[in-house]
Amino acid sequence: MKVDKAIDDVQKAEADLAKELRRLGERHAVEQDLYHLGLTLAKQCADHVERLAPFAERYGTSQPKVDDSPGLLDTLRHASARMVGRSEIVGVLLLRDLRNLYLGAQEAEIAWVILAQAAQAARDRDLLDLTATCQEAAETRGKWLRTRIKVTAPQVLVSG
Amino acid sequence: MTDRVADIWGARTPYGSGSQWPVRVDQYVEDGVPEDEVEWSQSACVLCSNGCGMDVGVHGGRIVGVRGRADDRANHGRLGPKGLFGWQANNSPDRLTQPLVRRRGKLRPASWDEAMALVVDRTREVMDSRGPLGMGFYDTGQLFLEDYYTLSVIVRAGIGTPHLDGNTRLCTATADFALKETFGTDGDPGSMTDFDVCDTIFAIGHNIAETHTVLWMRILDRLRGPDRPRLVVVDPRRTKVAQEADVHLPIRSGTNLALLNGIQHELLAGGWIDEEFTERHTIGLSKLEQTVKEYPPERVAEICGVPAGDIREAAHVIGTGRRLVSTCLQGVYQSHQATASACQVNNINLLRGMVGKPGCTVFQMNGQPTAQNTRETGANGDLAGMRNWQNPEHVRELARIWNVDDIQIPSWAPPTHVMQMFRYAEEGSIRFLWIVGTNPAVSLPELHRIRSILKQKRLFVVVSDAFLTETAQLADVVLPTAIWGEKAGTYTNHDRTVHLSEKAVEPPGEARPDMDIFLDYARRLELTDKDGAPLLKWRTPEECFEAFKQMTRGRPCDYSGLSYGKLRGGSGIPWPCNDEAPDGTERLYTDHRFNTDGDYCEDYGHDLLTGAAYESKDHAAMGPAGRAVLKAADYLPPHEPPGEEYPFLLNTGRSVYHWHTRTKTGRARQLDAAAPDVWVEISPADAQRLGIVEGDLVRVESPRGRIEAKVRVSGVRDGVVFVPFHYGHWDPGEAEPDGRPRAANELTITDWDPVSKQPVFKTAAVRVEKLADGGGAPSPAPTTAGAEPLSVTGPATAGGEGVTETARGGTS
Repeated sequence: MKVDKAIDDVQKAEADLAKELRRLGERHAVEQDLYHLGLTLAKQCADHVERLAPFAERYGTSQPKVDDSPGLLDTLRHASARMVGRSEIVGVLLLRDLRNLYLGAQEAEIAWVILAQAAQAARDRDLLDLTATCQEAAETRGKWLRTRIKVTAPQVLVSG
Repeated sequence: MTDRVADIWGARTPYGSGSQWPVRVDQYVEDGVPEDEVEWSQSACVLCSNGCGMDVGVHGGRIVGVRGRADDRANHGRLGPKGLFGWQANNSPDRLTQPLVRRRGKLRPASWDEAMALVVDRTREVMDSRGPLGMGFYDTGQLFLEDYYTLSVIVRAGIGTPHLDGNTRLCTATADFALKETFGTDGDPGSMTDFDVCDTIFAIGHNIAETHTVLWMRILDRLRGPDRPRLVVVDPRRTKVAQEADVHLPIRSGTNLALLNGIQHELLAGGWIDEEFTERHTIGLSKLEQTVKEYPPERVAEICGVPAGDIREAAHVIGTGRRLVSTCLQGVYQSHQATASACQVNNINLLRGMVGKPGCTVFQMNGQPTAQNTRETGANGDLAGMRNWQNPEHVRELARIWNVDDIQIPSWAPPTHVMQMFRYAEEGSIRFLWIVGTNPAVSLPELHRIRSILKQKRLFVVVSDAFLTETAQLADVVLPTAIWGEKAGTYTNHDRTVHLSEKAVEPPGEARPDMDIFLDYARRLELTDKDGAPLLKWRTPEECFEAFKQMTRGRPCDYSGLSYGKLRGGSGIPWPCNDEAPDGTERLYTDHRFNTDGDYCEDYGHDLLTGAAYESKDHAAMGPAGRAVLKAADYLPPHEPPGEEYPFLLNTGRSVYHWHTRTKTGRARQLDAAAPDVWVEISPADAQRLGIVEGDLVRVESPRGRIEAKVRVSGVRDGVVFVPFHYGHWDPGEAEPDGRPRAANELTITDWDPVSKQPVFKTAAVRVEKLADGGGAPSPAPTTAGAEPLSVTGPATAGGEGVTETARGGTS
């Protein structure tokens, strides 16, 4: 049984995504929705990792730590976001960052799908229930980014 | 004669369930005008969304007074203080009478030709260099349907930009979205007559007594009548509505969702659910049950800061009523988790099976008089005719009606909301911004940021207004507009009632109706349809109305059976009005079939946490097929919780005497005198702790800015301070801003609801610091309504003499 591997993948993907969400929020702090939702969703990632902890223990894998407070670099990013917020270059950077974040969100979601399949075959109902909830949340993150990218792309690429 | 500044709601005319609300005709005519020489012209009030039918009195070519229309379903003759006195602004010497153009840094008078040529030149320049995405338009909730529709067609089909929004984004965007999420399309399902027959009223975040004075008269008359309805009120302030309540829950700001989940928890636990109704006419119950089971009253009590017993009692009242009307407003819409909370209010009525029946409805209330029309015409970011921007067939249908290529209509993403538009202007990708009849330099959050955006040299700002507002003073071109009473048109209130307002007098000087300005703009830009004919086919308001009503045929807001002729005389008429319902429609969904079919709905819905837009495939998978959607969401703490440095929660709101940024009400002498300057409300316990008494001058400061105001010690909740948002940097008689920091929005946070994009005005952290002793003189706050002092400190607010109230029938 290699369920531990699937758990490990999910935890890594969620921890990475949390980091990227925070980074995006700080880097584009003038985009207030990204800042606030970035923090909210980073917390959700941390919560997902935490909820997997008992299963990680059960299947024998170690739990990564999700950093919950912004580091020095994040704070610097926040400050510089405000300074360059008046430049149009930020649009191109924003679109690139959103695209990368979307890919990260997709990675986390498919990791949940894989884990859900494993849970089903392993007849682990508790794990299966958890994957159902978390996978839905993971899917929603992708939809949110999709909506945001659909709004941003035309303005960045066609105006100017 | 009554003083309707002192006695805001006038004399009571009590009535019982099911009987007609008695008529009481309120009238105010200027002193010294011979009444028999006054000519009356049909209209409706534009100082809130109740849409009270009124006649405008004219003498010697000027407006001299108003009286309520006895036959109108909205008010049965009554008017509120703003309606009775606000019209005097039309006659103000401050009215703009000619266009202004900025030359060598100063706004200077210009001809219409010069001003419009400049607007058109700049439009062409931006269109050539940046395309339609360099153009932005920000309108209001104050124009008429005909103005909005003309603007909407120009922007969507002519210019082709998604950057069009209304200041309704600040007021009722959440109502619009909550209705779409739950019922599939916009439009309040109920009728104001539901207040006549209900036995229970649930008001959350809705200070009816001050925001909708005439509706409050109706409710007060029921409360004083033979079978008083029970009343549950949620409000952090001890408002007049709260004082009448059976249960008042003064919750901590920003915790609506937790409370509403808790109430639903109790409705489920008490078995107060209409199981047949929810089974047959809703989807989403099991998810909702799963969510709200985590919100027992004890947990909710902790989050909201009210006793668990009171939450149980509120749920008991709501759960055992037989005819429930629920209503919400800015306390929900401008607060944290706005759309998610507003959807829970819908849920409560659905769980009780109380929608689409007499006395049973939910009101997602409006604020502005014509907010509903921005949503019908698409001038607020919706697609015209309550169409779905994600439904290609809806877009094609509009393209056929407008005779343009469907690719011209920007439907690739949700239309741009105002906060995003200002962000685009900030980063420089929007270079032309036309602001119509609204004052963002006072009304948007975090004002220092808004001012700095508007002041940018690279941004060309056009402002159409009747007065030189704080925003107009920052413009490159100012266009003087005709207002209510000076042009014909229609508008629709919060129970879908459409009113006609006739032109009563000529506008001052060279001021023009907004529709005429837009028509001129389209003509000069040579906007055409795909056959090369002019894009806009109308010249008069009535012709525009005829075009609009054809566009609405078959949609929820079906106006096809209405005409100016039909709206003349008698009462306003609620839509839909068509061949099947020639006299209009009292209430929607009487068959409990909702507008959620995939090919009919206005929106596929959203995730309430993130605002992710569902797409057609998501909607199909959900499969509502005519059933209402019970949406569920978890409570999350607000984004800026109070802490050590900023220990108070700021709550902003309105006074009964003023409207928005006082551009009109500040110029009506009685209203100005009643509430002449800003104040800050603080609870007695907090005042004592800070060593502050009534009338002391304090500084209120947030991480973004600060204001100075005198203190009113009132019945506001401990830990919360309330500041009215009306006061900008202007006073009657002053042409220039005096720079005194007193606008509530200096303090507010740039943050918005993920679904409705409505800015959050009700949860910002602030600190309060005493600056100077008041020496015993009271603050300028009124002594009436929500600002009522806890102990008498000075003369009572008065000065609205000369109003007659003529009651007919009833038992008064």
